[in-house]
Amino acid sequence: MHIHRLEKIWLGIGIAMLFVFLIAIGIGAFAKGDHPPGHHEAIKLDPEKVYETPPFDEPRLEQIGENEYNAYIVAFIYGYNPGNIEIPVGATVHFYVTSADVVHGFAIPGTNVNLMAVPGEVNQLSHTFTEPAEYLLLCNEYCGIGHEFMATTITVKG
Amino acid sequence: MGTQHDRDLNPNQEHKGKKPHSHGEEKLNGTFVSVMLLGGFILVTWLAILFLYIDRA
Repeated sequence: MHIHRLEKIWLGIGIAMLFVFLIAIGIGAFAKGDHPPGHHEAIKLDPEKVYETPPFDEPRLEQIGENEYNAYIVAFIYGYNPGNIEIPVGATVHFYVTSADVVHGFAIPGTNVNLMAVPGEVNQLSHTFTEPAEYLLLCNEYCGIGHEFMATTITVKG
Repeated sequence: MGTQHDRDLNPNQEHKGKKPHSHGEEKLNGTFVSVMLLGGFILVTWLAILFLYIDRA
């Protein structure tokens, strides 16, 4: 069967790409332990009991190191608990986010923080705030009639 | 039902099956260049977003 010369080149590129991507994913998954952002945790979080389940029974910003914080945040209709967070510049915050009711978004525009607050799930992402500013934390997942008002601020003092 | 001609039985249908017309080989150069340009565009925009992501971290 005759294959056109250019088709051979095209097929070669395609097959090579396939191997490159498979190897990249393989190294990422097995050698580096990468997994999709969100770090699906095996916490059995009954969404109806979120305020009874640690750590979300006390939603808070908790300092765990010199410039390192854990933020346990519950998204709800229509806000975040805790809201109006203040941290010093250079702080690394490990966000742990869930929802008390429906699916919400959790996004800080201008950063890579953009995840979903899903009832029954804890989503985790870390970010280091290197620039002092007042950052907007907002909901980018339609959650009801007050969705467009659902936002709070993260003030980075420096 | 007629009988099959020897031509049809021949698995190597170079003359008959290669293409419906009797031109020379199809010119795929234009297609190839177009596809490589498109791939290049995808690659460049992909890299742009990657650098944006790295910057924001």
